[in-house]
Amino acid sequence: MRQLKPNEIKVCVLRIEGTNCEEETAAAFASVGASPEKVHLKQLIHQCPKEMRRDLADYQMLALPGGFAAGDYVRAGAILAARMKSALSNELKAFVEKEKPIIGICNGFQVLVELGMLPGFDEAISREPQAALYTNDSARFECIPTLLKNENNGKCAFTRNLGKGKVVMFPSAHGEGKLMFSSEHERDYLNRLEKNDQVVFRFVGPDGSYAGYPWLPNGAISSIAGICNPAGNVMGLMPHPERVVNRITHPDWTRSGLDPSGEGDGRVIFQSAVDHVLRKG
Amino acid sequence: MRMSLTALMHKLPFGFELFEIDILAANDSQLKEISSTMGLNLSLEEMKVVQRYFASKMRHPTDVELQSIGQAWSEHCCYKSSKVFLREHIFNISHPDVLAKGDAGVMAFDSEYAYALRVESHNHPSAIEPYGGAATGIGGIVRDVLCMGAQPIALVDPLFFGPIDYQGEIPPGVKSPKYLIGGVVAGIRDYGNRIGIPTIAGGLFFDEGYVGNILVNVGCIGMVKKSDLVKNAVKGTGDVMILVGGRTGRDGIHGVTFASAVLSSASEEESRGAVQLGDPIMKEPLIHACLEVNSKGLIHGMKDLGGGGLSCVVGEMALSGGCGAEVELDRVPTKEPGLAPWEIWVSESQERMMLAAPQSNVARIMEIFDLWDVPATVIGKVIKDTVVKLNFGGQRVFEMDLEFLTKGPEYCRPSSVSPPPSLKEEMFPQVPRDLTDALLKLLADPNIASKEWVVRYYDHEVRGNLVIKPMQGKLGLRGPGDATVLKPLQDSWRGLAIAIGVNPWFTALDPYKGGMTSVDEACRNIAAVGGMPHSLTDCLNFGNPEKPERLGEFRSAVKGIGDVASALSLAIPSGNVSFYNEASIGACLPTATVLGVGLVPDVRKCVTTDLKEEGNPIYVIGETRQEMAGTAFFRIFGGKGGVVPGVVTSQLAQGISSLNECMERSLLRSCHDLSDGGAAVALAEMCIGGDIGVNANLEAMGKLAPAVKMFSESNSRWLVEVDRNREQEFLQRMKAPAARIGTVGGKMMVIEDSDVLVDVEVSALRKAWSEPLWKLLG
Repeated sequence: MRQLKPNEIKVCVLRIEGTNCEEETAAAFASVGASPEKVHLKQLIHQCPKEMRRDLADYQMLALPGGFAAGDYVRAGAILAARMKSALSNELKAFVEKEKPIIGICNGFQVLVELGMLPGFDEAISREPQAALYTNDSARFECIPTLLKNENNGKCAFTRNLGKGKVVMFPSAHGEGKLMFSSEHERDYLNRLEKNDQVVFRFVGPDGSYAGYPWLPNGAISSIAGICNPAGNVMGLMPHPERVVNRITHPDWTRSGLDPSGEGDGRVIFQSAVDHVLRKG
Repeated sequence: MRMSLTALMHKLPFGFELFEIDILAANDSQLKEISSTMGLNLSLEEMKVVQRYFASKMRHPTDVELQSIGQAWSEHCCYKSSKVFLREHIFNISHPDVLAKGDAGVMAFDSEYAYALRVESHNHPSAIEPYGGAATGIGGIVRDVLCMGAQPIALVDPLFFGPIDYQGEIPPGVKSPKYLIGGVVAGIRDYGNRIGIPTIAGGLFFDEGYVGNILVNVGCIGMVKKSDLVKNAVKGTGDVMILVGGRTGRDGIHGVTFASAVLSSASEEESRGAVQLGDPIMKEPLIHACLEVNSKGLIHGMKDLGGGGLSCVVGEMALSGGCGAEVELDRVPTKEPGLAPWEIWVSESQERMMLAAPQSNVARIMEIFDLWDVPATVIGKVIKDTVVKLNFGGQRVFEMDLEFLTKGPEYCRPSSVSPPPSLKEEMFPQVPRDLTDALLKLLADPNIASKEWVVRYYDHEVRGNLVIKPMQGKLGLRGPGDATVLKPLQDSWRGLAIAIGVNPWFTALDPYKGGMTSVDEACRNIAAVGGMPHSLTDCLNFGNPEKPERLGEFRSAVKGIGDVASALSLAIPSGNVSFYNEASIGACLPTATVLGVGLVPDVRKCVTTDLKEEGNPIYVIGETRQEMAGTAFFRIFGGKGGVVPGVVTSQLAQGISSLNECMERSLLRSCHDLSDGGAAVALAEMCIGGDIGVNANLEAMGKLAPAVKMFSESNSRWLVEVDRNREQEFLQRMKAPAARIGTVGGKMMVIEDSDVLVDVEVSALRKAWSEPLWKLLG
């Protein structure tokens, strides 16, 4: 098979009403040479005129951006997840099983959890959600710089270019980001996450150790900020790598001594995914 | 919403609610009765003009027509008390970069792009229903920017409340400051965060003057390709009018007339229906769809439905295109059945926009709105005569000349100004020689203390464009910023610096200098990050203009704003006036909020407030004078009299241009403007963000008393940290007065003059500054 070029990697940046981070998510993929397209859910399920219709299978990657899809009035991510599940289940399942990368950021992570695609222990899309992203312990929406440590041993397609143990700054901005399991499964699921190498990021403090609020802005179990599925091609995380693709949007570039024209901490996520697709051919 | 009826109203024999009002033979008291029972809020003189108009038409008006006049002639819509002064001091300022003065002002950004700006108030609705009032305030200002064809990219919200822990008397019908703060902030948070527009700047101001009259000012910045700039007007008779967005209901009826009157204890009950209900998840896709039909060239004009609803937008849009309109009112999608025509016509239900487009484009427009599940309905057409005609249920329910309807009255009411305090009456407060405690107390004052409690509620990072944040410094130890900076375009380093300027305490004592200070502060905030002040938009919140002293405050403040803006060649392409912020316990502090926008040639040269490196010298830029009236120091410690800080425009201009030059050459490592609490507070804040101390000696500031050097709030001043290897170059470039007052280093903040004035650990400064709002607001 002919080697793909980066710009031949089509990324479906999915949106509905209330999705609001699609611009910068698309820009993040473009910054590493991929070809993102902002696609409304109704285009994928063909509830629109013919020339607007799109097919998920034609894309190499899927991104679920941040925002408040459909207002998040029921529970964060629940409405979009239900709409996707009812109309797009088979296409999504095929996408996951082909090990095409899927990233859910913030609200997108909430959608992936509600859909049963994360942690996705036993199948691509579990019948019931196996985790929840619950209201922050502070009961506040928290928009704050957060530090994340890469805890993944190499399973996750989105962090393979980032060395294990490396700490990055991705800003958080959410009110419901506390990863939780039901108490009966808590110990078991945590073990499985570790055993399967599904833990991707944990929140840490400036010295790299696991720290309390506000470095851990939401109270997530085991300080977890992001996880992947057992195959490593589906990742969800609460903080926003797409907001720090360039150094200039980091909060401390005027004092860090790093080149403000340079890359930001977030770019590696998108680069890793593109490299993953190129490697797979 | 039901109108009260008077004997002069006769229901017409149709299958819906329509009244004719016997105005032609009405006497003075009957005219007043019509105005008050129908909630028109028109004066007797105004009612007589209406009477003469219908006499000339030889017929009685319908309720729809009278309601429409009430909206169009409200203070809120026609600026009848303010226009004469705005024309004299603001409208006359011309600027080559102004591209449009529509619902928002539009200014050139670079050769291809422009930015839009506007700020307005949503005071009365927020006082009655803080969550919904503030949320719909955001919704409204976003539409003002959107209808220029611009993508909203940032929100800015200066808010003014009574003291959080206010223990005094709260008049009946007024809610407690703490409740109002919680509701307003939550409303902005939930609406702004949901529509995905970052809230990047603002302010929280506290004073007893706001107990009965909170002020919620909301600003928005947008970006538009110059080629996509759209008019708020129809093009001509080929156009149809398409109403898009939310459905029309009984929420938000009489919003503008309610905003143009003094609140009373009965306002809660009477005017709850005047507060609109917001729906950010209708607004978010509405923004996408409106921008898409515009960028595809499918529409001729766009305007938002704000105050006055359809009754204002249809006429204004048609008349701006030199035409009129005929509208089928029963085509308007409603939230519930049974709305009377007048209710549909004046409702201020949210999330609605009006498009003017040629009939041939309607199908494609519908397709785009349909994808986003946003309702779009053709409700009327443009006609040649400058008349608006409304049909409902097969009847003509309204027919009025636009010239008459939209040309509201204009007044030049009497105004008076009391003499400002003077140096002769100055009484310094008694404070210990060691000013450490005084400084800590100032840092802990809610007007100065950290606003992180609210900053973290708002998503300021969404859209990924903000390069200088509201809080600055070491992660986890951040201090305050002066201006925030957006980098709006992917492939350009050019930026927009956004800042607020307002000092209600100065304005209360000396309105002219207060107005000048608003502009000075916005400009010096912009210059502090490396921006060149470019344009302003103002939100002028004052009391009852029918009282000469209130109008005098307004008039002087407007002159102050205009004088500084003209001297610095700053455009003021948009603005807003809010009168009647006056409860039974008195008027709000006169509050002239200025939202300033500066151009940043290269955002990589921007500077923040946090101190960076041991050994760097610190200079105070600008002239410090004995100007203590209205300062935080005098307010908190009980000083009296004195002089309110003025503005010497040549000094302001010189300071800005020198700072711009020094930052362009990367000579400065940090910079902070001097405002509330003066030099001492600014220096402390720089230490807090940098997590490093300073050794300062104020002798270089001249012969002033130590407390004046520390706490004077003279305008046009900054503190800068200079790269120690380039100090000589700095001194050559800096044309404004510059006094070296200290050196960065250590863990202590030490300030000496002839004596030691302050000696305190930076961690103690941080504690004093960081904790108060978290404690007060929980």
